[in-house]
Amino acid sequence: MNKKATKYQPTTVAWRFYLVLSVIALVYLGLVARTAYIQVIEPDMLKKQGDLRSLRISANKVHRGSIVDRNGHELAVSVPVQTVWADPKVVVENNALAKVDHWQALADVLDKDVNEIKARVTRNPTKRFVYVERQVSPAMANYIKQLKIPGIYLRKESKRFYPAGEISAHVVGFTNVDDKGIEGVERVYDQLLTGENGKKRYRKDAKGHRIEVIEDVESVPPQDLVLSIDQRIQALAYQELKGAVKAFKASSGSVVVADVHSGEILALVNSPSFNPNNRANTAIHRFRNRAITDFYEPGSTLKPLTALIAMEFGSVESDTIIDTSPGWMRLGGSRVSDPINRGKLSITDILVHSSNMGTTKLALSVPKQFLLDKFFDAGFGEETGVGLIGESPGIMHDRSRWSQFELATLSWGHGVAATPLQLARFYSSLANGGVKKPLTIIKGGNDDPVFGAEQRIFSASSTENLLPMLEAVVNDHTPLAKVEGYRVGGKTGTAIKAVAGGYGNDYVGLFAGIAPLSKPELAVVVVINEPGGDLYHGGEVAAPVFSRVMKGALRLLNIAPDQEKTAAQQISDKELTHV
Amino acid sequence: MRSTGHDQQKTRTLWQKLHIDLPLLAGILILMTLGLCIVYSAGGQSVDMAIKQARNMGIALFVMFAIAQIPPLVYRKWAVPVFIIGILLLVSVMFFGQVINGSRRWLNLGVAMFQPSEVMKLIVPIAVAWYVSQFDLPTKLVHIIAAFILLLIPTLLIAKQPDLGTSLLIASSGIFVIFLAGASWKLIGGCAILASAFAPILWLFLMKDYQKQRVLTFLNPEQDPLGSGYHIIQSKIAIGSGGLHGKGWLQGTQSQLEFLPERHTDFIFAVFSEEFGLMGVTLLLLVYLAIVMRGLWIASNAQHAFTKLLAGSLTLTFFVYVFVNIGMVSGLLPVVGVPLPLVSYGGTSMVTLMAGFGIIMAISTHRRFIM
Repeated sequence: MNKKATKYQPTTVAWRFYLVLSVIALVYLGLVARTAYIQVIEPDMLKKQGDLRSLRISANKVHRGSIVDRNGHELAVSVPVQTVWADPKVVVENNALAKVDHWQALADVLDKDVNEIKARVTRNPTKRFVYVERQVSPAMANYIKQLKIPGIYLRKESKRFYPAGEISAHVVGFTNVDDKGIEGVERVYDQLLTGENGKKRYRKDAKGHRIEVIEDVESVPPQDLVLSIDQRIQALAYQELKGAVKAFKASSGSVVVADVHSGEILALVNSPSFNPNNRANTAIHRFRNRAITDFYEPGSTLKPLTALIAMEFGSVESDTIIDTSPGWMRLGGSRVSDPINRGKLSITDILVHSSNMGTTKLALSVPKQFLLDKFFDAGFGEETGVGLIGESPGIMHDRSRWSQFELATLSWGHGVAATPLQLARFYSSLANGGVKKPLTIIKGGNDDPVFGAEQRIFSASSTENLLPMLEAVVNDHTPLAKVEGYRVGGKTGTAIKAVAGGYGNDYVGLFAGIAPLSKPELAVVVVINEPGGDLYHGGEVAAPVFSRVMKGALRLLNIAPDQEKTAAQQISDKELTHV
Repeated sequence: MRSTGHDQQKTRTLWQKLHIDLPLLAGILILMTLGLCIVYSAGGQSVDMAIKQARNMGIALFVMFAIAQIPPLVYRKWAVPVFIIGILLLVSVMFFGQVINGSRRWLNLGVAMFQPSEVMKLIVPIAVAWYVSQFDLPTKLVHIIAAFILLLIPTLLIAKQPDLGTSLLIASSGIFVIFLAGASWKLIGGCAILASAFAPILWLFLMKDYQKQRVLTFLNPEQDPLGSGYHIIQSKIAIGSGGLHGKGWLQGTQSQLEFLPERHTDFIFAVFSEEFGLMGVTLLLLVYLAIVMRGLWIASNAQHAFTKLLAGSLTLTFFVYVFVNIGMVSGLLPVVGVPLPLVSYGGTSMVTLMAGFGIIMAISTHRRFIM
């Protein structure tokens, strides 16, 4: 029987074996193809799915950086505070509401209505997080902790504190309750101050255990921000401005102090200001950083620009005499006039007496386009580069048709509007030998060769000729602007405020000046807006503020006096150099 | 015959005296080594588990060696009583079996748990080969039907436990014998039709809900990604995230991080794929292929119908193991509980498989004793 069976084997089974072999080979190929498909064709999707299941990111919160002035005085610091929050689920589960006394105590310490707190917590009992009160003092936090109400917890947060108070409030700005900058430098440099939260990408297993850290993005530590502001000058400027605004019954005012070489703003103050540490019930207009948001017709403070343009073009020399007789003239249908006929005037005289006639003649002595170009070059109609939120570029029309009268009014600072900051920039350029730089609020902000780009707008010789004229203006016409021991140059301005449809009854008193003239270091601009008393002229309301701020700033910065020294001083100087 | 045997005796090597087929052993050892590595990785780098698995392997190797010493003739002699005992054991499982995870598969022998269906994996091909080899090849229809009945009894008993994977393997081991014995194509076609007619019956009456669910899930795993589709989706993700080169040993995230269920047993292939990539998978399949080819070579060189059919059936069943497991893990087949042979963690199936290899080795080295 067995032998019978074996007889057929070779023929019957052989081809079946080959069939089996080929089927097996095919199946194996199929399996390889299947895995290849999953591993090579599909893997991106599958890998992503895998990562979705196992990759997680955690963030590490960092502390907000401080803002300090150029000498390291703190203008904004973060202080740890506690926030009270509730876990309604825990509250409900523990029947914590039954502890009436405890809740009453909580409400009392927070100065809130107990029912309101309870209602807020119980409104959605399944929620896991409800704020009760944010940023409470450590003493209050401790008291609440002692109450030990189940479901009421404390959480560390940081709160911004501004030691400089209202003095630097506009520059520094403030943060909201979530520690995010919403005004001023706090907003502009929010990212730098916040740093970048550290991130951890890690893998977790199906049970949520952390397995491996794949990527640890180092937190970019929050940086302290060093402003160009000198808090001493800032405080002085604010004090003087506040006093002047009050004394002259002005509606507002601004002072800007700038380092003419670096473009750094040493002081930028406005009045009225606000207390950044307690902003509740503050009128909204007080938050306005007027020195950059409000623009005024600069009036006569721009006359030096016209004189400079004429000298730069070469239509006049520094000693050219201009006949302003008969004290008035007609341009188109309009009349240009001086209060009296001043006759023949040098350019210095034109500035000293603020002669509209003389300035008009200077303006009309150069081609229209050259005049306009130089006004644009001087920075009117453009931002100053300070980068603060809400900065206005002022108004400087870029149109092709200018009547001669319009050019004349432009030459004495009407029909153009500038922020105090723009004016400070223009006077800085004058003091800097005709080289315009962007202004900056950051210490060393213009050291960057790209962003600190400077532009020569006037020749050094023209500006050199202009400075003594500005000095004469102060000495002969605006004695209130003088600074003892220093040579000071500047120009007053008094503009009637423009209102809708023309000019109103309010004035703006301005003074812009630079010192020390022998080697200019500082430019100061003072704007007193809408003085309400009998005095409204720039030389009366703004010049005294200028004088005191300039004087204080020069002394604080240890800038040597440059007025002719007395014999005794010279001797002591000599002795010093010989030691 | 006798003279061939005599010739062989002259050239018998030490291995042949030990009744060990060296190429087969080499393939098995490679798989076991890979298996040990990957079990260690899949088990969360548990040394305990690796040691246990090594012990399982040791036992399995010993069983293989012991069985290889037995001349195939003995199996043939004892085929009928052993088959009857096996059926009795299965029936007693039906009545006295321990219920674990919803299925009744184990007999509690007091000292140890015993799974009769595992032994049936060997007994059924022996029995069917015994029956078919009594008659002329190709087998007549009557005998084929009788053989079918022979293998249907244990298959249904095991399917009833329920243990779909094992009953499938046992059925296929018997069918392979019948196929190799020379069932005509008409018959095969008829069986295929019968099987497809049987499918609805299976679906309606025999399959439990969880088995139906598996099939439904297989057809569309995304319909319930967190429930029944979870296995297949996770497994595909693990395989896919291996890519061409794999993530490296012990580096697999999906498997190591316990996203993958049954990762050291049935789904170990996913772990392997994730850690060794397509290159590793190709190599692993080549080793399996080599073993299957060697087994078929032994079968084709066997000098008796019984041994030939038995060796062929055991080898092909081994191949079905591989195919079903990898097919299931890679989403080609529905999830049925079939481990990856010699690699998956677990002692029972490994001992059974190695016993099968022991029989194959016996067939390859005992030739002269057959007649």
